[in-house]
Amino acid sequence: MRQFPDPDPGQPDLRSPGSYLTRLAGANRVIVALGVVYSTVSVVANALIPAAIGRAVDDGLTERDQRALLLWGGAVLALGILQAVTGILHDRCALTASLGGSFRTLQFVTDHATRLGASLPRRVSAGEVMSVGVADVGQIGNALAFVSRAVGAVAAVVVVAAIMLVTSWQLGLVVLVGVPVMVVATTLTLRPLHRRQVGLRAVQSELTSSAVDIVGGLRVLRGIGGEQMFADGYRSESQRARRAAVRVARVEAVLDGAKVLLPGLLVTAVVWQGARYVLDGRLTPGQLVAFYGYATFLSIPLRRLTNAAGAVMKGVVAARRVTTLLSLQPHDTGGASPTGDSGAPPTAAGAGFHDPVSGLRIEPGRLTAVVCAFSDDAGPLADRIGRYADSDVTFGDVPLRQLDIDDVRRRILVVDNAAHLFSGSLRVELDPAGRAARVPDVVHRAVGTASAHDVLAGLPAGLDTVVADAGRELSGGQGQRLRLARALTVDPEVLVLVEPTSAVDAHTESRIAAGLAAARDRRTTVVFSTSPILLDCAEHVVFVEAGKAVAEGTHAELLADDRYRAVVAREEDPA
Amino acid sequence: MTGLPVASATRARAHARRLALRHPAELGRVVVLHILAAASGLVVPWLLGRLVEDVARGTDTVDRVAVLICAFVVTQAALTGFAMLASARLGEKVLAQLREEFVDDVLALPQSTVERAGTGDLVTRTTRDVDLLSRAVRHAIPETLISAVTIVLTLGGLVLLGPLLALPCLVAVPILWAATRWFLARARDAYLRENASYTRIAAGLSETADGARTVEALRIGARRRARADDDIAAADAAERYTMRLRTVFLPIVDTAYVLPVVTTLVIGGAFHLNGLASLGAVTAATLYVQQLLTPVDTLLFWLNELQLGSAALARLLGVRRPDQPTCDDDATTGPAFPGPSRSAPLVLATPVSAAGDRAGIAAHGVSFGYRDAVDVLRDVDLEVGPGERLAIVGASGAGKSTLGRVLAGVHRPRAGSITVDDVDVGGLPLEQLRTEITLVTQEHHVFRGSLRDNVVLPVPDADDAAVEHALRAVDAWDWAADLGLDARVGSGGTALSPAQAQQLALARLTLADPHTVILDEATSVLDPRSARHVERSLAAVLAGRTVIAIAHRLHTAHDADRIAVMEEGRIVELGSHDDLLRAGGAYAALWNSWHGHPDRP
Repeated sequence: MRQFPDPDPGQPDLRSPGSYLTRLAGANRVIVALGVVYSTVSVVANALIPAAIGRAVDDGLTERDQRALLLWGGAVLALGILQAVTGILHDRCALTASLGGSFRTLQFVTDHATRLGASLPRRVSAGEVMSVGVADVGQIGNALAFVSRAVGAVAAVVVVAAIMLVTSWQLGLVVLVGVPVMVVATTLTLRPLHRRQVGLRAVQSELTSSAVDIVGGLRVLRGIGGEQMFADGYRSESQRARRAAVRVARVEAVLDGAKVLLPGLLVTAVVWQGARYVLDGRLTPGQLVAFYGYATFLSIPLRRLTNAAGAVMKGVVAARRVTTLLSLQPHDTGGASPTGDSGAPPTAAGAGFHDPVSGLRIEPGRLTAVVCAFSDDAGPLADRIGRYADSDVTFGDVPLRQLDIDDVRRRILVVDNAAHLFSGSLRVELDPAGRAARVPDVVHRAVGTASAHDVLAGLPAGLDTVVADAGRELSGGQGQRLRLARALTVDPEVLVLVEPTSAVDAHTESRIAAGLAAARDRRTTVVFSTSPILLDCAEHVVFVEAGKAVAEGTHAELLADDRYRAVVAREEDPA
Repeated sequence: MTGLPVASATRARAHARRLALRHPAELGRVVVLHILAAASGLVVPWLLGRLVEDVARGTDTVDRVAVLICAFVVTQAALTGFAMLASARLGEKVLAQLREEFVDDVLALPQSTVERAGTGDLVTRTTRDVDLLSRAVRHAIPETLISAVTIVLTLGGLVLLGPLLALPCLVAVPILWAATRWFLARARDAYLRENASYTRIAAGLSETADGARTVEALRIGARRRARADDDIAAADAAERYTMRLRTVFLPIVDTAYVLPVVTTLVIGGAFHLNGLASLGAVTAATLYVQQLLTPVDTLLFWLNELQLGSAALARLLGVRRPDQPTCDDDATTGPAFPGPSRSAPLVLATPVSAAGDRAGIAAHGVSFGYRDAVDVLRDVDLEVGPGERLAIVGASGAGKSTLGRVLAGVHRPRAGSITVDDVDVGGLPLEQLRTEITLVTQEHHVFRGSLRDNVVLPVPDADDAAVEHALRAVDAWDWAADLGLDARVGSGGTALSPAQAQQLALARLTLADPHTVILDEATSVLDPRSARHVERSLAAVLAGRTVIAIAHRLHTAHDADRIAVMEEGRIVELGSHDDLLRAGGAYAALWNSWHGHPDRP
């Protein structure tokens, strides 16, 4: 069997859900083709068993010939073994095709999520990505697995039809007309079922969302109560989903009945007519038994065809959601053209910024603090400097939006408190650029500057500890210091920090402030903060009110400004 | 990452048995309908056998037999439809119960367990495992039931045709038995491993999606893709292992059920040649045995799904009561928190003590750690009187938040005790604990539902006036009134800012109105001005309550009656602001560092 993941999954075909699935199947075309062959041999071997049994009855039993009985009995056994071996070979091919589709889609989705990057939360909810990555991926795999199954089923029908036509063209015709009629009739019952299934799926995914919501807010619920309310809410939603499922089950039950009735009626017709032919001498009793066998057997490929139709339908629905997700484009924040100006050459000091909207000016090579009277102003301002939003900001003397986006990300690092700490070994997590290979103590020094040695000391394996999802085991202050350490390890040309010490205590904060100034010595650093300790260490402070830079100077100078003092010295404000 | 526990196979089986017997009448109806459907399916080959014999002899019974066959086909179809509907009804009922119980179990889960396992695992269980179980209940169980019934009835039919003719088909039994035993012994663990590998895939993708901006900022897309590739490789290996198991198992059983057809035909044929059986009987027996193929195939096919379903059930039940004790799980330290659906003990109605002689909250010799051998709290003693306002300060990582959680009863101390009015917190049912102590953290989650739903968590029957009062107390009424209390918020609804989410959390608190409030940096997300204002209005609402505020900003400490200073898991100083300043210890140093700007005293 082929191994996954494919090192080069190729490009997805996003023109339509159908072409997406076709391209996926095409990537494993040898396997899919082999699967078709095995499936066909397997099903045809199975289909020939009734013929062999019929010969055994005619030549062996009716003719009372022991050798013929043994011969045809052996043929049945040989066909059985052939069917078993090719059957499992087909299963392996189907699994490979299915995993190929699922895993490739997962690779596409992961790759696209990383390429959407900062645009992702603006384009799609994380829950939607998860729903595609967990549920739809499985449906796509399933649909691909059913391709060879369906082809095998069709082949079986053809072979059986041929045998029957040779034996008795009238009876063969009955079966040949009967089978397509059955398929059409089943598809007709399938259509309203599909509609209802779509409705049911929506209800069920709402139900899942509610459960996921409860899981997400579990800490809150366990703290303040309301479990009963959520349990009740979930229960009534669950009961609604149950009733919807029973409504769908009603249609399904009709379909199940039809699956018995239609082949059954066909069998009856064949037997009726066949028995008459035996009386006329046009057919032997053994051939009648064989015809009965064919007619019963045909329900297997028929069922496979309907299952395959269902799986492909679900696969198309899933592929539509996948292609929609994969077609999302990153938020346009300017020219990402490869010919884009790379701006001022990187220098040790880094370049400065100018934001014409706010009037904010950042001089290169020093630690600038920005105090926003309204904390909501800080994020958008930092987003403009880091080009997470389109703006007229200039970097050096070049409009930021004209630079190549890769250059921007390499040179300017914006860290806010929503920055994600990924699970995994802290040694890797704190050194995303892998700089420790060249500068052995870089992580150690950054952790020291962020005053986070005590965080590592509290972990069982220090730097080699594998932290859990999103660093939930860490307190807000611990996580914040590790994020700061990570940013310092990256050591970008320009570092923009948004409220980097909002969750740490005053004592730790003063240590961080002193260390930060030293670590970023003569390099462009912008800190958004309202904390006097941090501001006191900045070489320059800009005060922003209502989105405009209204005052600047050192912290000590600005304290003369009442509006500024009201913001930074809030604890002294008379109530 | 320490995963959530998984229930043992024995426990999962016992639970499935109990579930099956919970609705005996419906189960009985389902079984009877399936038996009748299968029985009418068996009449057809028998009639055909007779027909073959008749026409071979030249007797014309064709029309009569054909009409009979037709009648039984229609009967079988109708019975099958009804049987499927009945089992779907029952299945959906059981399924709804299962998922509702699962959510109840999740809601009764100790927080410490959730934090350790991460939400990825729980999310997979609520999505993929509930899904797998649904498939098992909706399809695997009814199909298995039908197949089992059909097999038993077919064997019965064979015995009726002639006990001798039933013997040849038994040749398959030992082969099937041995192969199935071999397979099942390996399959459960293999499928559990397969499920676990998909959990990791989901967790990895969830992080990539949640942290997408960070991925771009740090340019670690390649690392995230590599992580996904690793997870896929692990899932692929798990899938290939289960495929290997099937590669051994399936061809053996496939051969094993062609064998009886051959033996019945050949040996039965020999009987016929020696005058021991009629042509009709041998034909019918061969058809019966051949007809066994389908239900046995179905049975074995769905065994696979049943395995998946049972693995899913084991994972869902694993949430119920952890099998693996961890350092602060209830299993090792006392009875589990009663879940919301379980009846609370009788003590609920009795107040801990009359309001007059309340003794406040106290910690004695409390030690606690999230992992073995690393204590975050060390031998903490603390007494807070009723109505007192205590601030806890200290460096990050000193154990402030942990102390708050231990005081609130979220974690059980490893040693020592927490008492509320001289009653051990560990012994209080959760419902009562909450009327005593409420913890509000900096974490905020906006639930799917209306704005009202998000506020009334602690008092679900609160009226709109109470909701408005609570929202006004935290300065949230303006925007809340704009949105309307019926506005849909949370995932899929109107997005609220972190500050608004925090206000909602505080509004819940004022509605809960507990005797003791523990605020863990509960206003940290609000901008400084609003924070100050909210804290002031909150103080008015909470007047007379015991308030323990964990703060990294010292102005909160300044306003408190007493301040506890924590260092490395211990309380090193305790006293009023002025006392501590005079003492000139750690707090005084902190205060001076915070106050280190030039124009302040």
